[in-house]
Amino acid sequence: MSEILKYISRTWNIKKLVAILSMFILFLTSGFPLFAQQQRFPKPEFESGYTQPVTSMPEARSDFFAIFDVLVLIVALSLISWLILKKRSRRGVLAVSVFSILYFGFFREGCICSVGSLQNVTLALFQPEYSIPISALAFFVIPLVYTLFFGRTFCAGVCPLGAIQDVLLLRPVTMKRWLQKVLGLIPYIYLGLSVLYAATATDFIICRYDPFVGIYRFDATFFMFAIGAIFLLLSIYVARPYCRFFCPYGVLLNWMSRFSKHHLTITPNKCIQCRLCEDSCPLGAINKPVPVKVMEDRQSATKRFISLSLIIPLLMVLGGWTLSNFHENLAKVNPKVRLANELMSFKPDVMLPSVEIEAFKSAGTPLTELYSQAAIIIEQFYIGAWILGAFLGLVFGLTLSSLSVFKYREDYTPDKGECVSCARCLKYCPVEK
Amino acid sequence: MKNKLTLIFSVVILLLLVALIAGDLFLKKPNLQKNIYEYDLKELRKVDPTLITYRESLNFAINSESVYGVAVDTADQIYVSGNDKLWIFDSQGKLQSSMKVRGDAHALCVSESGNILLGVGNRIDVRRPDGSLNNSFQIKGVRAYISSLAEKNGRVYIADAGQKIVHQYTIEGEKINLIGAKNLEKGIRGFVIPSPYFDLLLGRQGELWVVNPGRHAFEAYNNDGDLISTWERTSMQLDGFGGCCNPSHIAMLSDGSFVTSEKGLERIKIHLPSGDFKSVVAAPNQFDEGTKGLDLAVDSQDRIIVLDPSRKMVRVFELKE
Repeated sequence: MSEILKYISRTWNIKKLVAILSMFILFLTSGFPLFAQQQRFPKPEFESGYTQPVTSMPEARSDFFAIFDVLVLIVALSLISWLILKKRSRRGVLAVSVFSILYFGFFREGCICSVGSLQNVTLALFQPEYSIPISALAFFVIPLVYTLFFGRTFCAGVCPLGAIQDVLLLRPVTMKRWLQKVLGLIPYIYLGLSVLYAATATDFIICRYDPFVGIYRFDATFFMFAIGAIFLLLSIYVARPYCRFFCPYGVLLNWMSRFSKHHLTITPNKCIQCRLCEDSCPLGAINKPVPVKVMEDRQSATKRFISLSLIIPLLMVLGGWTLSNFHENLAKVNPKVRLANELMSFKPDVMLPSVEIEAFKSAGTPLTELYSQAAIIIEQFYIGAWILGAFLGLVFGLTLSSLSVFKYREDYTPDKGECVSCARCLKYCPVEK
Repeated sequence: MKNKLTLIFSVVILLLLVALIAGDLFLKKPNLQKNIYEYDLKELRKVDPTLITYRESLNFAINSESVYGVAVDTADQIYVSGNDKLWIFDSQGKLQSSMKVRGDAHALCVSESGNILLGVGNRIDVRRPDGSLNNSFQIKGVRAYISSLAEKNGRVYIADAGQKIVHQYTIEGEKINLIGAKNLEKGIRGFVIPSPYFDLLLGRQGELWVVNPGRHAFEAYNNDGDLISTWERTSMQLDGFGGCCNPSHIAMLSDGSFVTSEKGLERIKIHLPSGDFKSVVAAPNQFDEGTKGLDLAVDSQDRIIVLDPSRKMVRVFELKE
């Protein structure tokens, strides 16, 4: 935030840009929702004194505005990619970040976001009856495609979750690489769980624990607000804590970015090894040159590769077996399984039924039907837990191997997977085009 | 150093966040199926002092291994039955007389005419005001167990906890009627009596009030055994009665309000004639834990006389000024 203020105070152009952006947002917030709301039925008026609950989800967008959002996403991604790769402008990244916070954050109330769209796509793949909105699919695919070509420019300033953390980074502290690697395992677990729960139509846990959406909607529950506040507080010292140590979509972007052809480079020309950029990245995503003497000889490297090749499958089997033993615990998050459990332990003579039990009874569905559905879901979780465990075993094994394998590098280069293309490092490079 | 501390703090917070989210996702949610009969006795023993409208004005000990019943006559003399014995005290607790009786009288009443009725097992001894035995008769049935008695105009009402019924006899011992037998056509659900506490009393209009303890209910019957009124309050809070079977004993104030005593959660309360809770006479902390069989009587001054079988005392409670 201080950087933004600094830039605003120094440069008239940015000031103008922010003003124009604010006017644009104001225009959108004043007129468009009225138009969109006309397409919905009015709420029923109850005479019994019943009051409508406040919904925590934003209203569905009309087709036109859904496509408009996709267009805005494409424009924003194109603009920020151009600003990063061609103009090499940190200011431009900041300006787009502010726009994203205002538009995708406060105006669009954080929904739909690419991070959460991962669950829509999973649900669509595993539950044929679910029809995925085209905008959700677009929000999932487009940033991945851009990342495949230009690196994580989406993370740099288009994602409202990343942007809000980025602008708050005031006093960054650096982390040891091993600690980053250990904490970096969390997003893989989160990704696995969110896919498992979306595939079984259990819950969209990414949305449930989205730390910033409550802030963007001004209606956070205390739990959501507490998580969001803690993340924002951490963002002052730790660069993008949610992006690096939680975001499941970031895992996919990380993979894509590793193959990106036109990724940001720290130097616009040949690196002169001045070391000025060495500590410039608050994410620790700059690979340092590796001296030749540190390189392993070919024989020991081959030996290591063979041993890792044996360990990784073992870790996968161990992970799968371990999690499969906990599949019933994982399944308890599912509402049907939970209801079946509740009903099995429910004693009508001494207990008051919960709202869920009352609703189930009033629906008239036979108990056996619920139990058989719950049994099917638990079976799905058994298979899902095996896959999730194997996936985590693979990730753990690959992380171990990445820590122990040395790669030869001559220059300072961004770690393509970890780098979010925030362009902070660019100003440290004295080399000109 | 400062940076290192910040980093450690941040990592700890991050891990706490992970734990918080995982806990919310996986740990058992608070059980919404609240057990309505579940009670935390420690909490329920606490009574708001402002609800206690009586104070203990007098108490005196009974020199007996056990005490069973208490009653008051029209002159406010206090009668107490114990092991094979009956004691008579004046209203200030001064012993007036005592007499040996035939067995342990778990039920005791003194009628308006001055007759003293003692229920011993399945037998009723009717004694004259001077204590001499006037009559004695037995209730039929091997399971008969007399837990309470009342008499008016020569009619004796006998609460039989063993056979879960109220017998109506003449004072001479002739059977008249059975009251409270299950008859759904007449709206009588039958008595539920899981423990040997089954009390009754005669109301101001001569109606018979019987406790249906298993249902936490009061039922009023006329002379013919017809159900004329009923109310029940099931609650572990002060506004009702909880546990398997309460109240264990009752008495009536001059305004028609009921004085009730409970076991399990030892407390004495007053309920209005409608059944609604009015106030507390004595809170659980005024009794030994586990006290059962707090028999009650009310004198002409509306003093509440409580027989405390744990402390073997008669305890008199008066309205606070």
